[in-house]
Amino acid sequence: MVITPSGADDRPTMHVLPEPMLDLAHVRVRSGPHKPELLADEFFMLAHDDQSGRPRLPHSSITFGLAAALLAELGSARWIHFERGDLTILDRRAPDDWLQHQVLAQLIASPQHTATRTWLAYLAATSYDLVAKRLLQAGMVRPVPYRRMFKTVTVYEPTDMNVAAWSWARLVGSLRDLEPLDTFDLALAGIAREVRLDQWILQGTSHASTAYLRQLLAEAPPPMRDLLAALNAAIGNAVMSHRT
Amino acid sequence: MSSSPPDAVSAVLARGRLGTFAVVFFVIAAAAPLTVVAGGATTGYAVTGVVGIPVSYLVVAAVLALFSVGYVAMSRRIVNAGAFYTYVTRGLGKPAGVATALIAVVGYNAMQIGLYGGFGAVLAAYLDGRGWHTTWWLCALAGWAVVSVLGVLRIDLNGVVLAGMLVAEVVIALVYDVVMVSHPAGGTVTFDTLAPSHILAAGIGAALVTAITGFVGFEGTTVFAEETKDPKRTVPRATYVAVAITGLLYGGSAWAMSVATGPDKIVDAASTDGTDLIFNLVSPHLAQSIITAGRILFITSLFAALLSFHHTVARYLFALGRERVLPAVLGRTSRRTGAPKWGSITQSTLALAVIFAYAFVDADPIVHLFFWVTVTGGLGVLILMTVTSAAVVAFFARAQNTDGPWRTILAPILATAALGTILTVTISQFDTLLGVEPASQLRWLFPAAYGVAALIGLVWALVLRSSRPDVYQVIGLGADAATAAQHVSDPVHQPA
Repeated sequence: MVITPSGADDRPTMHVLPEPMLDLAHVRVRSGPHKPELLADEFFMLAHDDQSGRPRLPHSSITFGLAAALLAELGSARWIHFERGDLTILDRRAPDDWLQHQVLAQLIASPQHTATRTWLAYLAATSYDLVAKRLLQAGMVRPVPYRRMFKTVTVYEPTDMNVAAWSWARLVGSLRDLEPLDTFDLALAGIAREVRLDQWILQGTSHASTAYLRQLLAEAPPPMRDLLAALNAAIGNAVMSHRT
Repeated sequence: MSSSPPDAVSAVLARGRLGTFAVVFFVIAAAAPLTVVAGGATTGYAVTGVVGIPVSYLVVAAVLALFSVGYVAMSRRIVNAGAFYTYVTRGLGKPAGVATALIAVVGYNAMQIGLYGGFGAVLAAYLDGRGWHTTWWLCALAGWAVVSVLGVLRIDLNGVVLAGMLVAEVVIALVYDVVMVSHPAGGTVTFDTLAPSHILAAGIGAALVTAITGFVGFEGTTVFAEETKDPKRTVPRATYVAVAITGLLYGGSAWAMSVATGPDKIVDAASTDGTDLIFNLVSPHLAQSIITAGRILFITSLFAALLSFHHTVARYLFALGRERVLPAVLGRTSRRTGAPKWGSITQSTLALAVIFAYAFVDADPIVHLFFWVTVTGGLGVLILMTVTSAAVVAFFARAQNTDGPWRTILAPILATAALGTILTVTISQFDTLLGVEPASQLRWLFPAAYGVAALIGLVWALVLRSSRPDVYQVIGLGADAATAAQHVSDPVHQPA
């Protein structure tokens, strides 16, 4: 019998608004350490502990979430469009970001595959390493060997905890106060909800926040809802076919 | 299915996909061979008093092979070909699909919970033989605790471990078979219990459903379709190989036992020895270590089956929760482990209640829990197969037909007729199956559970149709339900 790597951080209580965080959230920082632009980077940060870099989710959930975030990066900048479970390419010009460029090039190279589900499954195979590489290059994380039960794995430890926690602080602040989310944060919250990270983000907030997020996502732009539905199905199927 | 040439995307998606033997392993392992041979067949002899158990296994294998012809052909035509109820939804409509799904939930639960009786009693007897005095329900509770924890943590038996256990179980069963056949009662090997004439004998319905119970992992072949290297070839091949191997192994082992005791004494011997029968029969001729190995494998086999059916039920509930046919909470996963947490907890809670109830009324764990409840589970699976087979007929009556009349008309009709006959005979002889008086209320109580489940399913589907059309629309799509609100695009599983 092999223990499924739970991969979860064992200290959730750390995140129930610890002291420094409490201050941060309390004053509802409107200008954070940086203005996030890359959705996959922010989801990566959200899905890992802001101090230790250890994952908060099962690995497969993170890889699917990252795959969806990579597609959403291209979608929000109108390179691609999501409709009825398929994605279509709108713009073939190369994005500036090398990873977006690489993903778009793959989409262009295999036009016979149009189902968003197929691309999520494909990108999930490499999304983790690629996004980690992009974060490394940006100096936002550093690789640290971490010894688990039988093997040593690399975790990516955030170089700056405030940067790492910024997306979480922004989301929880807005959702707690029932303030509108911009498209970027809405997509981030949507992906987080599909991988069940919403429970963790919203812990300590009232039931109204949960309902508010649900309402925001129900009213999200149709392409975003389409991408999130594909992510939902991908995660669900991963549960159905899980074996160790 | 895309007909494009292999490309980078398909190549990445094909990684880690299953070949024929992997699928065969998973399917056979779900039924756990030693559980069937040492537990199901022996108790079947004892409770039903029918000597035609061996031929029943062979007949059921043949009927299932026939059923597979149309079933596999249909699996290639529908998106998200997963569980039986998907087929029923596509063939007979959504109300029938929901009814079938609920029958499946009851049936697989019965299968899993009944196994606790076998596991508890066999483990208690084993420990008793080593001077540890305990009760069956304590052992069952220990097994329950482990299964419950593994269920919520989403820990399955590792494929390698499962394959190793499976091979060991099959080898042990074959060794025992050879020993039993080479030491026949009265010095001559007889084939009485394999005679086709038993098919017409009284109580054969009981024997046939006992045999069906041994093939419950069967639903698994097309569940794996999305994960196989080449669904068009892997799934049919795996299905036929699994049916042939299990049919021959179960039928052969049940026959070997009757050779060792003599066909006229097998029922008495099984009544006296219970699940010890096969071990008692071979112990004079084999080293003690091989007997002990067999006993331990019997226990691990029961455990593997418990865990496997627990996951099956949890995933069923999860899929139905995702569709919102059942409460949406069942379709949620645990954040930490990704397990279908509430499906798992629901199953465990139900099992715990049944174990406590049996312990409280002091019922016999082998006859009243293991045999009664697992064959009731077997009856559920038989109903599922019969309805699914009818759904295959209905589906091909409407669909564009390119597979030829044998696969799409003849075989499905013959299979439906055969399964329907077995079902009718089984229900009419349920008293024999339970070993109770023909006037007993129990003979109707167990089958009635499925009638109730089906009725609830039908009514619920009709309620959904009028009150929640969005939910009604996605019935049968399982985990894909979320995408269906927009449109279901057929994701590429595989280049053909």
